[in-house]
Amino acid sequence: MVSPQRASLICGALLFVLPVRAAEIRLLPEYLRPDPFGAIVTEDRKNTAATEPAQVKLRVAKRGYASMQIVVYAEKPGSYRLRVTAPPPLEVDVFREWFHKMRSGGAYYPDALIPVSGTHESHIPNPDNRIENQKSEAYWLDVWVPAGASPGEYAIQVTLNADGKQAAARVPVTVLDANYPSDDVIAIDHNSYGSTWLPALYPKAAKQEDFYTSAELFRLIHAHHRIFYEHRGLYHQLGYGHAGKVAPEFAPELEGTGRNKRIANWNLFDRHYGPLLDGSAFANTRFGAKPIPFVYLPINPDWPASFLWWGEPGYEAEFVNVVSQMERHFREKGWTQTRFEMFFNHKKRYKGYPWDGDETRFEADLPYFAEYRRLLDKAVPGQSPVKFVFRADASWMLAEQARKQGGVIDFWVNAGTILSWYPDIVEMLKKRGDIVWIYSGTPEVAGPASAITFNPLRAWLWGIDGYIHWLAVSPGPDPWFRFDGGDTAMVYPGSRFGVEAPIPSIRLKAQRNCLQDLALLDTFKKTRPADWLKTEVSKRYNGLGPEDWWIAHPPITREPVQEWSNADIDSASRRSKARFNTLDANAWERVRRFLHELVTERK
Amino acid sequence: MKPVLLLIAAVLCARADELARTLDDVARIASVMVDGDVCQRIVTARAEGYIIKGHPRDKWFGSDNYDVNHGPYIQTKKTLMRLARLNPAYYDVNLWMPIGESPRKIHVVIRNDREISQFWTFGTLVQDMIPEMREVLETDKRVTVRQKPGIVSVLAPVHNSLGDVVGLVEVVGREKPDAHENVK
Repeated sequence: MVSPQRASLICGALLFVLPVRAAEIRLLPEYLRPDPFGAIVTEDRKNTAATEPAQVKLRVAKRGYASMQIVVYAEKPGSYRLRVTAPPPLEVDVFREWFHKMRSGGAYYPDALIPVSGTHESHIPNPDNRIENQKSEAYWLDVWVPAGASPGEYAIQVTLNADGKQAAARVPVTVLDANYPSDDVIAIDHNSYGSTWLPALYPKAAKQEDFYTSAELFRLIHAHHRIFYEHRGLYHQLGYGHAGKVAPEFAPELEGTGRNKRIANWNLFDRHYGPLLDGSAFANTRFGAKPIPFVYLPINPDWPASFLWWGEPGYEAEFVNVVSQMERHFREKGWTQTRFEMFFNHKKRYKGYPWDGDETRFEADLPYFAEYRRLLDKAVPGQSPVKFVFRADASWMLAEQARKQGGVIDFWVNAGTILSWYPDIVEMLKKRGDIVWIYSGTPEVAGPASAITFNPLRAWLWGIDGYIHWLAVSPGPDPWFRFDGGDTAMVYPGSRFGVEAPIPSIRLKAQRNCLQDLALLDTFKKTRPADWLKTEVSKRYNGLGPEDWWIAHPPITREPVQEWSNADIDSASRRSKARFNTLDANAWERVRRFLHELVTERK
Repeated sequence: MKPVLLLIAAVLCARADELARTLDDVARIASVMVDGDVCQRIVTARAEGYIIKGHPRDKWFGSDNYDVNHGPYIQTKKTLMRLARLNPAYYDVNLWMPIGESPRKIHVVIRNDREISQFWTFGTLVQDMIPEMREVLETDKRVTVRQKPGIVSVLAPVHNSLGDVVGLVEVVGREKPDAHENVK
């Protein structure tokens, strides 16, 4: 642990300062976020180790990104022009960082990233950001290294013109002789519910008549998929409510009843999902056109079969007719690379149905899952190339469900905290060939910048397949001047800045960079023992061993699940949380350096 | 211009009245068809106990322990669904029941797939007694409520075999269907 005074000195040394009389350029690595007054945010100064370089240098493999930040600092108000250039074939994307004023406490944190051009003019203080005594503006720099780049040394040039003076900085970029794999070892998902939040974030687009059937709606939906895809992530959008109502853009239109129930119209469904399932929604991205790997189906207790017939032959007839038709449609379209998820999100507390589909807590609810598995198997031919999976989001009784529902559920999305008690369950599920993800809330901006790497790394260390931000598109009523902290947002609406689409965040960028590192790191399992890799990575991240990421079988697990409260769960997890509350800003930088050593050694 | 506006207003009022009449017809039938004894068996005694008692350190304790007896729930839900098919209008039939003693609260016990209600607050387990609902429970009479623009609810009593009013149905319709309401 380093004292705050010492930490401040260390961070001061990290600044690469090029003064001119009117304004100066300061360069920062990706995990040290600036504030608008010329300092580093408090959380990124905590626990900082004293072994960091005094200059920003980027090292990056091909087919991936390196990132850093540029701070323009000025003691006095004034205008300036910033220019950033990269030598071909490297490309740079520049974003202005928005300083969010927190609703609680009034501190400022940068997070939303507004795309700007490589030559950008601005003014300190920034009239839009409205910060009293603002001394600095910050820019996020993404350097894209295409697969065809030659390994070697490059340099990014930064020039600043202010008050008739010019300053310049040079950022060395080493391109390593390796490629980031195109497939991720950990799937990182960003979840959302319905479409009704879109008009509030995009009022101009939503003014269009019949917005929910318009091209504008689908453009916005696809823009969300695209921004997450461009950051190595996935996007899920659940299309039905807790009492079974399906919004029309999420499902084909049905007609008839009983044995005559069938799909009458695919129009909206195909407009929504077609470009996602054939990959064309991702054309002209750096990662290329690829179908989405996972998607929710609209199946719920009232769709496609009416709950009125539950337990009667009509329910099976309606379910099997429609789901069979879906399988046929997907097969004919060639949509065979995506996993179509039958997933039940309803809970009894929302009063739509008598059982919990999500976070099941009662034993008596389990037979419903078995019945839906039977119906799904009846609807989908065994040899179908279309991949249907039965997903369950489990928490309270995840251990019991995992033991009892083998062959019923094949895609598990588990509460991360509770799964940390059951390493044996993970092993069992993976041996069975099931897909295993975890979920939790998104790290807020008021924690260390490196916190965003915690869940991806945890998933990798546990040997599971993915992680979900349970809600990732909800920045709150006023993210700009009264910010809630971003624990339900990884992107922001761009409307304020003339961008009718979501814009990224610092956390999304840092998460992407972590994912590309993990994907590359995982390739070393071919040449190094996996346990050794995990030990070395964990040690560098926070000084712990891989076994410290579990709290195997705490006493609470011997009590009946129905007796647990959230307070009990918090108590049982306290020891685990305490291990991770000293995370410092450079945690991932140390892992990355280790990765680069491995790459260099391999060559 | 004024006569045109008056004409539009008159048409809208006539539509609302027609919807209210339709809903009132359904509510009258619902009062007969919904079995109050069965309704009283839906929420488990354990769940009801936790809702009332709460937990000093867990605000979600009532919700996490909310549970129902499947048989009575399904039987009642199917009745409500059938009632929602009596007329082609866009409406739902929800079941509400009082809970606790003093002060008496109310909670929706069953909602249906058009997800309409004038009274349910998304995610709320138990709510303060709504005056119009108290009126139905105390007077055993149907009450029509128009609190939100474009929505009409008719509240009708549900009786058990002793003749007690043990709950009420909210027969609720929208003049203009909303395909996205509560899909969130």
